Amino acid sequence: MISYKNKDRINIFLLLLPWILTFLVFWAYPVVYSFILSLSEYKTLSNETVFIGLDNYIAMFNDEVFLKALSNTLLFVFVTVPITTSLATILAVMVDRTNGKLKEFFKAAYFLPSVTSLVVIALIFKNLYSKEGYINTLLQMVGMSGQSEGWLQSLDTALPAIMAMDIWIATGYYMIIVLAGLQTIPKDLYEAADISGATAWQQLKSITLPMLKPTLLFILVVNTIKSFQVFIEIYVMTKGGPLNETTTLVYQVYQNAFEMADKMGYASAVAYVLFFIILVISLMQMKLLKEKY
Amino acid sequence: MVRKYIINIILIIVALGMAFPIFWMIALSFKANPETHDTITKLFFSEYSFTNYWKALSSDSFDIYLLNSVIVSTVVTLGNILFCTLTGYALARKKFKGNKIIMLSIIGVMMIPPHVIMIPLYRTMVNFDWINTYQALIVPWLITPFGVFLVKQYLSNIPDAIENAAIIDGANQFQIIFKIIFPLAKPIIIVLAVYIFLMNWNSFLFPFLFTNNAEYWTLPVGLTFYMGKQSINWGQLMSGASMSAIPIILIFLLFQKQIIKGLTAGAIKE
Repeated sequence: MISYKNKDRINIFLLLLPWILTFLVFWAYPVVYSFILSLSEYKTLSNETVFIGLDNYIAMFNDEVFLKALSNTLLFVFVTVPITTSLATILAVMVDRTNGKLKEFFKAAYFLPSVTSLVVIALIFKNLYSKEGYINTLLQMVGMSGQSEGWLQSLDTALPAIMAMDIWIATGYYMIIVLAGLQTIPKDLYEAADISGATAWQQLKSITLPMLKPTLLFILVVNTIKSFQVFIEIYVMTKGGPLNETTTLVYQVYQNAFEMADKMGYASAVAYVLFFIILVISLMQMKLLKEKY
Repeated sequence: MVRKYIINIILIIVALGMAFPIFWMIALSFKANPETHDTITKLFFSEYSFTNYWKALSSDSFDIYLLNSVIVSTVVTLGNILFCTLTGYALARKKFKGNKIIMLSIIGVMMIPPHVIMIPLYRTMVNFDWINTYQALIVPWLITPFGVFLVKQYLSNIPDAIENAAIIDGANQFQIIFKIIFPLAKPIIIVLAVYIFLMNWNSFLFPFLFTNNAEYWTLPVGLTFYMGKQSINWGQLMSGASMSAIPIILIFLLFQKQIIKGLTAGAIKE
């Protein structure tokens, strides 16, 4: 191994310098500053910061829009994550049975939404979901009435429409991960099951799913963390409307910080609540993975 | 046998569903005055023209947005290739005090949701007087913790015999890095480069917060402002959207393996 020499120490320092600077200036400082801001009232015009303790955190519980954003975000997580995970698993098991060019084609097609910009996808769906959009046209073709107000304009359908789009985007991505997980299952397990006469369904239930557990757990956590941060689709498609029906935690952070006066401190507090939720999920995941696998 | 056909048919229907919105975008982008309720057959068989693309590029500043996207994504990608490799190399091959702390800072940052720091990072840019500059769009992302992690893992799994031989032959640090480490790490550097390019090409939140002058907008930012500006001309909007999506789809088809590896890295323990 390379020994400790002064010259080498300087080299090591220089090699690490870009990361150390980036870490301090663009990550560590913002995280700390954001916490201080969350305990303050920031006056936009005079650029003053007044310390107000936990007032911002307490104010959240009386802010109806925040509570709506919290419940929307939780709804988003609890609806989209299980559906995406199940669809991804079903599709992966099916794609795993195909071969050669067809398999490559499916992988590429299903992954397409994941490489396309979310802004672009949100724009396309805004078009498809509109009052005279193609989704209504299709529904009318098969004799249904469609959504006469437009899917994103109606209180009842705005949030579900965005959730459906997010499921459409994410399913292919997680399908690829499950597919990779399937490759790690030893083939002789299935051979043994074949010999003892187990049906395909039995094999799925007692070999595939248990062996996929670490992969599925990983997907659940990653997808949960992602779904807690829904923002771009809301900004592009509904701006939180109609009547805050589709607002989310990150959208509240954005709106308070950048569209309202003197609310940057409050917005930072909302951001910190979100940070705390995500941190707890990440730590739980690490503990679970360590314990079981 | 029958079951196999049923599975294939289901998978093909789903694949068409996955591709349809992208197809819809491209189809609309070639129509002069598309009606949103046009049926797919009507869209498909009516006339095609590049009018929307020329209009978007010449009179709606999409030429500037496109150029900005190319500049920002390219510079950030080159920065990551250099800096992630240097730092990853130091972490994988050098013994020094503080190695663990640096690793901890990298893993810790990977766990920070970027949305959480949007306010303080915006304040930092204001204090640096960097709002509406290329620095704001580029400098914070020149080295990414995920990239460092990727290179570090890759180099840790390669024996250091070649380097030790080079040291005995009298090669200096500079030569070792550029003549041995970079060629050695090439496969993972390609994964890193394609991943970083993709992420920055599609990036919206920070470019959106750090600019309010159209001179510095990238495609995703320009698209959202264009949408809010007037009654929507879907044909032109979709031609702008296609300019953002089509290059990345082509890159995806070319580097499919690397992109999937980058986007799903860490998911499966091998």
